[in-house]
Amino acid sequence: MAKNVTEKKVITEKKSNNLKRQGVLYFWSALFVAYGIIFCYIPLVGWIMAFQEYKPNTGLLGSKFVGMAKFTRLFSDPMFIRVIRNTLAMGVLNLVTTFTMAIVFAILLNEITHSKSKKVVQTISYLPHFLSWIIVTAILHDALSSTGIVNELLLKFGIVKQAINFFAHEEYFWPIVAFANVWKETGWNAIIYLAAITAIDPSLYEAAAIDGAGRWDKIKYVTLPGIKPTIIILLIMNIGNVLNAGFEIQYILGNGLIQQVSQTIDIYVLKWGISQMDYSLGTAAGIFKSAVSIVLIVICNQVAKKHGEERLY
Amino acid sequence: MSKEITPKKRKASTGDIIFHICNGIFMVLFVVITLYPVLNTLAISLNDGLDALRGGIYLIPRKFSIKNYTTVLQKDNLMIGAYVTVARTLIGTALSLVANAILAFVVSRKNFAYAKQLSLFWVITMYVNGGMIPIFLLYKSLHLTNSFLVYVIPGMISAFNMLVIRTYMKGIPDSLEESAQLDGAGYTKIFIDIISPLCKPVYATVALFVAVYQWNSWFDAMLYNRQKSNLTTLQYELMKLLSSVTNQSSSAEAMKNSSSAITPTSIRAAASIITMLPIICIYPFLQQYFVSGLTLGGVKE
Amino acid sequence: MKKKVVSMLLASCMILGALTGCGGGSSEGKSGGKSGDGGVKEFTAFFSVPGSEINDDNEIQQIIAEKTGVKVKETWLTGQTAEEAIGTLIAGGEYPDFVDAGDGSIQMYEAGALVALDDYIDKYPNIKEFFTDQEWDSLRQSDGKIYWIPQFSNIYGEERTCTHNDEAFWIQARVLEWANYPQIHTMDQYFDLIEKYAKENPTMEDGTPVIPYTILCDDWRYFCLENAPQFLDGYPNDGSVIVDVDNKKIVDYNTTDTAVKYFKKLNEEYKKGIVDPESFTQTYDEYIAKLSTGRVLGMIDQWWDFAYTAEDALKSAGLDAKGCQYVPLPITIEEGMSNQWHNSGGIVHTSSGLAITTSCKDVEGALQFVDDLLSQEIHDLRFWGVKDVDYQVGDDGMYKKTPEMRSNDADTAYKASHKCEYSYFPQWSGTSRDNKNAMKPEGQEQEFYDGLSDSLKKCFMAYGVETYVEMLGTTPAPGPWYPMYTYSQTMTTATPGGTAWNLMDECKHMYLPKVVMADDFDAGWAEYMNAYNACKPEDFLAEMQTELDRRISEAAKYSN
Repeated sequence: MAKNVTEKKVITEKKSNNLKRQGVLYFWSALFVAYGIIFCYIPLVGWIMAFQEYKPNTGLLGSKFVGMAKFTRLFSDPMFIRVIRNTLAMGVLNLVTTFTMAIVFAILLNEITHSKSKKVVQTISYLPHFLSWIIVTAILHDALSSTGIVNELLLKFGIVKQAINFFAHEEYFWPIVAFANVWKETGWNAIIYLAAITAIDPSLYEAAAIDGAGRWDKIKYVTLPGIKPTIIILLIMNIGNVLNAGFEIQYILGNGLIQQVSQTIDIYVLKWGISQMDYSLGTAAGIFKSAVSIVLIVICNQVAKKHGEERLY
Repeated sequence: MSKEITPKKRKASTGDIIFHICNGIFMVLFVVITLYPVLNTLAISLNDGLDALRGGIYLIPRKFSIKNYTTVLQKDNLMIGAYVTVARTLIGTALSLVANAILAFVVSRKNFAYAKQLSLFWVITMYVNGGMIPIFLLYKSLHLTNSFLVYVIPGMISAFNMLVIRTYMKGIPDSLEESAQLDGAGYTKIFIDIISPLCKPVYATVALFVAVYQWNSWFDAMLYNRQKSNLTTLQYELMKLLSSVTNQSSSAEAMKNSSSAITPTSIRAAASIITMLPIICIYPFLQQYFVSGLTLGGVKE
Repeated sequence: MKKKVVSMLLASCMILGALTGCGGGSSEGKSGGKSGDGGVKEFTAFFSVPGSEINDDNEIQQIIAEKTGVKVKETWLTGQTAEEAIGTLIAGGEYPDFVDAGDGSIQMYEAGALVALDDYIDKYPNIKEFFTDQEWDSLRQSDGKIYWIPQFSNIYGEERTCTHNDEAFWIQARVLEWANYPQIHTMDQYFDLIEKYAKENPTMEDGTPVIPYTILCDDWRYFCLENAPQFLDGYPNDGSVIVDVDNKKIVDYNTTDTAVKYFKKLNEEYKKGIVDPESFTQTYDEYIAKLSTGRVLGMIDQWWDFAYTAEDALKSAGLDAKGCQYVPLPITIEEGMSNQWHNSGGIVHTSSGLAITTSCKDVEGALQFVDDLLSQEIHDLRFWGVKDVDYQVGDDGMYKKTPEMRSNDADTAYKASHKCEYSYFPQWSGTSRDNKNAMKPEGQEQEFYDGLSDSLKKCFMAYGVETYVEMLGTTPAPGPWYPMYTYSQTMTTATPGGTAWNLMDECKHMYLPKVVMADDFDAGWAEYMNAYNACKPEDFLAEMQTELDRRISEAAKYSN
């Protein structure tokens, strides 16, 4: 009896203590929420543009309301449906390739025991990140041209009889975009995983070695589980971004012959929205993208929750 | 190759050796493929501009010239731009790192009741965007336009970076916090003295992300500080050189009267290399934090 | 260690405080013609096109500032589209003093951002002189007032053009020389010559194969493929349609018999391997690279699109001596037709121009500056440069350049630090007020001819001409409606015609390459026509007809 009472007392004391102790947490939370509302949520007022025929001279307050007209226009346009397909396809392909490549690269790099070569390799690996798309795509275009290195190799090894015009065929475009992304971003994306790997307790590797684990076992049972929370968080965040498959690279690499597969939502918005002085259409497309993103991350988050994994919120 | 492999254990298994060889080959291939665009850009930047137009330059300049670099470096506001860029990179990174770390710390506390809601609040910001015009109006009414603050204040918190730090912090055993609590430490002390020192690798990562973001930014300079040449940034000055080719929807009529504005490939290449250099120089200092793992030994159970 | 981190963070926060303090404090705007150092007024200007900025200490800008007391800081479009830039400008409500909003000009006017110029124009003789009353009237907006001054293609005195700045079938001078300078008037003759030459000379000296004919198709530059049928039929560059001069009706050049013949010819040549198989996938850079190596024997393009890049590269590689430079040919679909590849006379591009915004605090000062820029002395400084530095004056009073001066003109760095054209301010072409020189160096015949390579001189001599323009012949613009593209350019999806116009554009981008590459041309063409007709071109043509009628009746008011 007496024991119970003291226990209860301890708990309530702990709670009030907690609240008092947590005062600083509440303080920061309030501050960050205020900041977030000002800089991230207030601008969302701009979303009413999607329901207007927005004109800069009349502004947000004075422009004519058109209801859902912009959305109806988007979804009744077969071209928009097609760019959604393209965006999704490239988004998923890019996600799968860049994501796995970054993890594989981080793990393999971590396996290099010679620390100098490790540093050199890593420094080189992230350099392409700093080249603009204009430059990277120019080099890629060059490499894939009829006299470029790729065709030269294919011809030399007799894989093809005649140079392939890679940019004239729809089926090559998505893989080329995925490759370009891998090429440019693998090293950069790996940085995060390398940081996560540093957090793994070295004694775990030693313990695994004592248990007779080989290299693959160590990767499988120590490294991968060690960076799993990071992988899952990044995966969920990136899944939310599949509709942001890009603009520049598709714009530069695309051409009339393959425009059916090369155009993304952002290109569509530029051509049919902004270039036509129709600012509202872009906002409507943006809202659509946001909605898809949020639905996707909610689903992923639920799945992660179900499996007891790390989750976004 | 085999020389580089210095097995820690006295006896390396055949499997290990095969693995190392394969890994070595993979890395060499990887390095060759990723290095190529950079070297190619470098070669073009060191080639005579008119000659470079003919294409066909791979790794070695055909007609060597440093004129592209002098042309770029002679650009007027480049020094002011460089100064502003350095300032915004230093200040922006420091500010952003502190803010993201504190926020990550708050939302990673297990017994904080609103951690989940606060996370969600920030997660959403990653996927919604009010659009250029409302944001412009907001900054204007906050007097952030035509001021240095617009570079460091609005983008201070990034949900992405915050979540990266949070994930890392969650990996730190609770026992550390609990024992510190028993010693009477408040959250501020726990954050500064217990958690942060352990988070150095992730801090370094996020610092790098923010620094690179700040270093490469030019859109804000163009949008909010266009009329203030003393607040220009390095990247904006360089972007002006690139603008004629990046401009997305042009027309024959517009180009006809400004045709001489097309920037030669070689100057674009030189501008890119100039951008890259400082970041390459900073990187090795940050690298030590995440290439060779920190020894957290004994911390984990 | 822990302490170090903390103190570093604290220190950086302090630096922040200090720096932002000074950043905020120094945010004094200097717009609206405020006097800077030495009593020079400073104005700002924004042009919604990409352009090259000049240095702050630019020499000629300084000279102009000393003479006029005004200096203008110009900014150009960077990394945005013109529409986005104008959209944010209007939303923000703060403008530079001068602006050329391009297609957004109407929006600027509707937003009340521009100053009406009517009350001012008469006070400034050089501005007043810039247009005739009819031309000024054509610039009036819906409220009857004038808000902007179109800057380009305005001819003073006698017209002086040497280069053909527009579109043509081009061919390398060496190909013509090889065939002993034949008369080439039709596509058949043109391709016949190219075929024969390529057969005899399949490679360059270094062994790389020649590319007989290439077509630039990159994004908006696909006019090199698309709009030739209007010229082949003997019509000028109305850009989007043909205007039948006899009955004043709009004709769609995409579906004419000539168009079919033209694409069929390209299709045949493609199958023969004469048309570069990479035509439809190459980027602009790759195209320029090909031209710069001298491998390409011929193509259709507009002069400005390759002259300042590929032609200069050819010269620097010494390929001009080998006759790799391009000469335009007067080609039409049938022999004996008159062509209008080149039109004489200026074009008032009424849809946009230089405007002064309501943010400008010294409108009179701004206009005085524009007036000064049009005076002969300043105009010469802008386009010819400084006497004895950029040009010399001969005993006969004619301006000329030394080879060194010419090479300076092509030097990016030199231009940025020395030359200041104020290139988006109003300017003249034609003849200078001294009645001798041309307003701009490119119109100076002797100077132009002296700058030519020997192979071009030889070629011109063989045809008995002295300029590119004479290679083609020239005719005045066909009527007051010309050019129609100034209207089609401003069309948006807000009207059915504008929607059709954009759909047609999309359709042509995709199908024209397919048609040229088709195994069975007729089937390919039929498929294209199906897709094309689905875009409802009739909506577009109807709106163009309305505009044509409007322009004709507008012009009729002045004819008596």
